[in-house]
Amino acid sequence: MAFLARFGAPVRGFLEFLGDQAHLVLRTLRHALLLRLDQMAVVGGLTKLQIRFTGLDALWLIVGTALLLGAVTLIQAFSQLSGLGAENYIGVLMVLIILRELGPLLTAVLIIGRSSTAIAAELGSMQLNGEVDALAAHGINPYQYLLLPRWLGVLVSLFALVVCFDAAALAGGFLVAKLKYAVTFGFYMDSVRQTLSNRDFVATLLKVLLFSGAISFQACHFGLRIRRSQTEIPQAVTKTVVSALVAVFALDGLIAALFYF
Amino acid sequence: MIELRDLALDAPDGRPLLAGLDLTVPLGGNLLVTGPSGSGKTWLLKVIAGLECPAGDRVRVAGRDIWPGDGALGMAGRVSVGFAFATGGLLSNLSLAENVALPLRFLGVPAAESQVRVKSALVRLGLAAVASLRPHAVSAVARKHANLARVLALQPALVLLDDPLEGLDSADRAIAQELILAWSVDSACTLVIAAEEPASFSHLEAERLQLSGASISVESP
Repeated sequence: MAFLARFGAPVRGFLEFLGDQAHLVLRTLRHALLLRLDQMAVVGGLTKLQIRFTGLDALWLIVGTALLLGAVTLIQAFSQLSGLGAENYIGVLMVLIILRELGPLLTAVLIIGRSSTAIAAELGSMQLNGEVDALAAHGINPYQYLLLPRWLGVLVSLFALVVCFDAAALAGGFLVAKLKYAVTFGFYMDSVRQTLSNRDFVATLLKVLLFSGAISFQACHFGLRIRRSQTEIPQAVTKTVVSALVAVFALDGLIAALFYF
Repeated sequence: MIELRDLALDAPDGRPLLAGLDLTVPLGGNLLVTGPSGSGKTWLLKVIAGLECPAGDRVRVAGRDIWPGDGALGMAGRVSVGFAFATGGLLSNLSLAENVALPLRFLGVPAAESQVRVKSALVRLGLAAVASLRPHAVSAVARKHANLARVLALQPALVLLDDPLEGLDSADRAIAQELILAWSVDSACTLVIAAEEPASFSHLEAERLQLSGASISVESP
């Protein structure tokens, strides 16, 4: 029995966590549908702020990372496949490695590092300062005022950043291809276009939708659970990062299996 | 306005604060909750506001079940509540004026009317000069008054004040007391005050609820 109890407790804890997350998502969506037109202006303003912090402020980090990654991917590919007509596989390599997998995944990881930590810490300190109580007491629905704009902001930012990441990675790859094999831009883009399919677009959109939910709702969940002291804030931030990373990698594997297996 | 039936409260650490409280406060009525520090005054206010869940049994505000129920979410947009917190409670990324205006914006009060109400509340509480500053940049007294200004601008049907006079000097105390007196005689407003020292509110005509460990006493005005 002791063995079963030891095994059962974490399983039960995990299932409770999943239940809490589902509850948070469903309540936020339900309250989003109840928003009035005048409230949308307030929520829209907060969403714009979140887009600025999560999207605009991270743009150069994402573009720089993607440029280097695109270039390094083709440098490594050419070093291994030289003599085997590597230039013919440029499009396949870029689509398989960058656009399908690393683009959405690395962008999500960078957003977890920059924004989910900030959201968890901000909501935690709001909770300790009585700000969440003050909102609820004065008729300001915390699902509409706190959760919805953060999720929408992360969703829009993640989508825009994935597009920028993919574009910058393709640019980095093109620079290497041009310098190494004097590949023209037309040939490079044709090669990428031929490998890309509608399925890739749908898979990327699904990833953006699910990753943004996993990142923002887990940050909100851990941030809003803080009740007593400042020392809970770093613990909540750590839990947010670990939990969001696990969720993003698990969702990525699931989508890859669903679309490409 | 407020109906408490067989109410039981536990502190966050699980310690029982009170049990078996039956109380009704009519619309326009006043209730003064007193007791030593840690006796559950603030907790009771938060339970009435729907912010904390009681250990048992029932809380109704304006005819709506708050507990068991959705708490503050069940009242949002239906019952207008103003809560002046003893500490904190102001959004740190907004100025005092924006803090006062936020509930009005969210509840759909027209912009022009909202501006008038915010300005008049800030002036009445002597906050006009610091209205554009954020809470961290003003004194504790100004933060306390900003909590009252938010309640004043909202013109709520239920006013909950947690130790509203604590830490105020005589001039600031007079401003707050004048405001509290106006709420207490307003027949459209139900007033609940939690205070450690009841002497400051001896002039108010209010039902008195004394919390002291396990014992509860209710005294009519």
